[in-house]
Amino acid sequence: MAAQPSPDPLVLRVRRRLRTNEHHIWAWGGRIAAFVPLIALILIVAVLAVKAWPAAKVNGPGFLTRSSWNVGNAYGATVYTHGVAHPLGASYGAWPVIVGTLQSSLIALVIALPISIGAAFALTERLPRIVAETLRYAIEILAGVPSVLIGLWGALTLGPLLANHVYPIIADHMPDVPVLRYFRNPVGHGEGLLTSGIVLSLMIVPIITATTRNLFATVPPLPKEGGEALGMTDWEVGRKITIPWVRSGIIGATVLGLGRALGETIAVAMISGSLLNTITPNVYGTMGTIAATLVTQLDSAFNDGTGFEVKTLAELAIVLVVVLLVVNFIARLIVRRTGRNAAPLGVGL
Amino acid sequence: MKRHSGAARLLALLMAVGTMAVGSSLLAATSAGASVKIPKSGVETPPTASLSETGSTLLYPLWNIWEPAYTAKYSQVSLTTAGTGSGTGISDASNGTVDIGSSDAYLSPSDVQAHPTLKNIPLAISVQVIAYHLPGVTAHLNLSGKVLSAIYQGKITKWNDPAIAADNKGVNLPDIPIVALHRSDGSGDTFIFTQYLSKADPSGWGTKVSYGTSVQWPSTPGGLAEQGNGGMVSGCKATVGCIAYVGISYLSQLLGDGLFYGALQNGKGNFVLPTKQNVAAEAAYFLKKTPPSGTISLIYGPVKNGYPIINYEYAIVNTHQSSASTAKAIRSILEWAINKNDGNSSQYLSQVSFQPLPPKLLNQSLNQIKQIQ
Amino acid sequence: MDGATTSAAYPSTRRRTIANIAFSRIGPMLALLIIVVPVTWVIVDIIVRAVPHWQWSVLTTNTEGATGGLKNAILGTLVLMGGVLLIAGTLGVLGGVFLAELAGVNRKGKERGGLLRSATEVLSGVPSIALGLVGYLALVVGLHWGFSLLAALLVLSVMVIPYIARGTETAVRQVPTAYREGAQALGMPNGYGLRKVVLKSALPGIVTSLLIALAISAGETAPLLYTAGWYTGTPKAQLFHQPIGYLTYPVWTFWDYPSNEAHYLAFDAALILMVIVLILLVLARIIVNRTQRHAEGSGR
Repeated sequence: MAAQPSPDPLVLRVRRRLRTNEHHIWAWGGRIAAFVPLIALILIVAVLAVKAWPAAKVNGPGFLTRSSWNVGNAYGATVYTHGVAHPLGASYGAWPVIVGTLQSSLIALVIALPISIGAAFALTERLPRIVAETLRYAIEILAGVPSVLIGLWGALTLGPLLANHVYPIIADHMPDVPVLRYFRNPVGHGEGLLTSGIVLSLMIVPIITATTRNLFATVPPLPKEGGEALGMTDWEVGRKITIPWVRSGIIGATVLGLGRALGETIAVAMISGSLLNTITPNVYGTMGTIAATLVTQLDSAFNDGTGFEVKTLAELAIVLVVVLLVVNFIARLIVRRTGRNAAPLGVGL
Repeated sequence: MKRHSGAARLLALLMAVGTMAVGSSLLAATSAGASVKIPKSGVETPPTASLSETGSTLLYPLWNIWEPAYTAKYSQVSLTTAGTGSGTGISDASNGTVDIGSSDAYLSPSDVQAHPTLKNIPLAISVQVIAYHLPGVTAHLNLSGKVLSAIYQGKITKWNDPAIAADNKGVNLPDIPIVALHRSDGSGDTFIFTQYLSKADPSGWGTKVSYGTSVQWPSTPGGLAEQGNGGMVSGCKATVGCIAYVGISYLSQLLGDGLFYGALQNGKGNFVLPTKQNVAAEAAYFLKKTPPSGTISLIYGPVKNGYPIINYEYAIVNTHQSSASTAKAIRSILEWAINKNDGNSSQYLSQVSFQPLPPKLLNQSLNQIKQIQ
Repeated sequence: MDGATTSAAYPSTRRRTIANIAFSRIGPMLALLIIVVPVTWVIVDIIVRAVPHWQWSVLTTNTEGATGGLKNAILGTLVLMGGVLLIAGTLGVLGGVFLAELAGVNRKGKERGGLLRSATEVLSGVPSIALGLVGYLALVVGLHWGFSLLAALLVLSVMVIPYIARGTETAVRQVPTAYREGAQALGMPNGYGLRKVVLKSALPGIVTSLLIALAISAGETAPLLYTAGWYTGTPKAQLFHQPIGYLTYPVWTFWDYPSNEAHYLAFDAALILMVIVLILLVLARIIVNRTQRHAEGSGR
């Protein structure tokens, strides 16, 4: 390769030509590549819309509020509603899985938020270097561990452990009063809402922590030092200066985590119990989420020769995609707005 | 601001796309059908081929035993097997994604209507057991369809309920709640179990819930849904007081986990266990009724000692293959699978507690296989 | 810091001191514990489940039903990673460079590419199962590709392009303007300078985002189940009508199978998958650390 001196003048000219025009390669290649996500997004929405539209016509708006997942009699008559074929008696309602999705994500947020803020403090404030480093590695690994592995652990190890040794203790001591009532018996065997929420919380901690840490880093040192000069403790500086400074950013980070929790599929499918038409009576009961329903029901949906259940699942997917798009938009708008004007407007010390 | 406007434009664009896509939705359907007979006894020698099978998780363990044995004999064929569930088996076979689909449930009329060239070919006979987790109870409990129906409707909630005790004189039933497990995924097991409930309790379950690969389960106190047969067994193991319907190929795991299974009340009112003889008796009754298409359920027959929940395990195959050599390879595998000296010998079937096809049915299946071309 | 230096505005009280210790010392340490323990637990759990029955033949034999080895799945995952690197890597890096450097500004002086950038971010929020569903409906069935390598690759690529594009854009933006000016001062043509100076400096960031994208694509299950299918043979060089194996399939499918052999296979696959992902993450971390050290060093 070390072909030494004076290359052919032609080669030199071609090379120079390439160099001067390389810009166009980058510009045009880049332009095309930059459009790929947009095109992909359009195609995804289009394919789902085409598939979902007939189902939406039959299922109607009640799809969002009914509590039934009745595929109808696949071995009975095929009937037509609005010109769409479906088995007799098919009646779909996504209300239980919508509720399940919200419940599990809510539990995940309630658990993950304090942990994430604590971890972000640990990463940005004055903890020993080794502690911060360990934490940073742990969070990176947590973010990277495939959800099927977390699901495996949740299903085989964490779930049974909680059901056998932790849940009974909680359940036995809960009084029969509103809210806490949901923590009473029976505790099941580890698959269910609370286990799903706990595992989901682990999966969203990295997102919330990373975003919150970046936000904390944007807080200028001066107000913090001022607080210290006033005799505030570290905790008070954090609570009254740092957190208010980035409050809306933390909300944005939380919503970002919410997006991940809402869309998580495999781990939840392994530990939720994948119930379709019942809302769990307590926090330990089995339940289902939209995403988990998609992966567990798609197979049996093919049993429906009219293809109606597959169309209904496409409709369910559209519901999820729309919810996630809205959640993501809100999150990113909030995070950005904070990024731009970091001053805690109207928040006194 | 600039990003905001980008986001808003994107939303508008996506909404427009969604509307347009719906407006211009197109559907295309084609169908074709013909049948030429290729007479041959035994197993055809296959050409070099690479075939795939997906479907029923109940049949999957058997395919896993069949595959190495078949390819050892005919090394020119490679066969990939996957347990994806009966639904995928049917749909993948119908749209040509795989060569052989497996299913615990036969094709529905709408399937047949949509894909006239699709056949369900019985390969073997499977059995369903009703398992329960009751420490201290080591007997096979007598369970009737009516009692099971009441349990799954939440009307019987304790194991020492008089209705259960009446069928089990002398058994000391514990005073613990019943936890009824059902499958969360659509499945052939649910299909045959709910069919049993429908036939044994026609005015109750039959009219209120009916049967299907997944049904609208009535809400029962503490009821649980489980993914797959494995989930049913592990869920039942972890839950004292549970009751679950499980495919027989999971029997050894079930017993290993300390669970027991019941004797079911059959169409003649007798309580019978899923023994080889009882399964064969039920199969013999339905044999006469089995149409050439193989489409029939073997549930709740009026047989003195027939075990009331058994079913054919089907191969779902498109009789109209793209190439003659693929068709020949598929025929060869299926011929091997139902041959009583090969795939249907107890050497393979007993490992998953399946029963072989009766000789008459074997010929019917062979006739169906011959239509693959 | 607490007791002695308090002023009148914030007098020291026992309660405040306790609150301070509880929240600013114990709190973060607790959060740390709550994160580190499960992470370690997941890893140890998988090792403990896989190692006692581990056999090296798992690496060299193909899956036979629910027993045998995982060679087909390991190779399949590597093939998928390679394909994703090729497709998503090219498109993601080009797109990221374009958004960072070349989109330019419009007449009002605002940066262009807002729509494309939003699309990229929104795409990263689409759940993976929805992508898998679309891949199945549109590619596997709609275009009659069957379970195939290409269907799986396209779905995976669409999934990770946003990560690569965003990572690349961030990395390119962090290259100091002085570098670009220097390249121009040396008379380098725009594109050449972009590659030789700007991209070279941004390379660690780009490679890191590629590694993360690879880790994601190795660990995905939902989008592959209905696009790649599953194949127990060694992967074939065929884009259509040929399913392919991958490591997440045995974990997701075999863990609640009725045989111990199937469980072992699931745990083995989990272990191998984890090792692959950890290697990628550690590589990414090493690159980031090294670059940061360089960046600090260059601040003379």
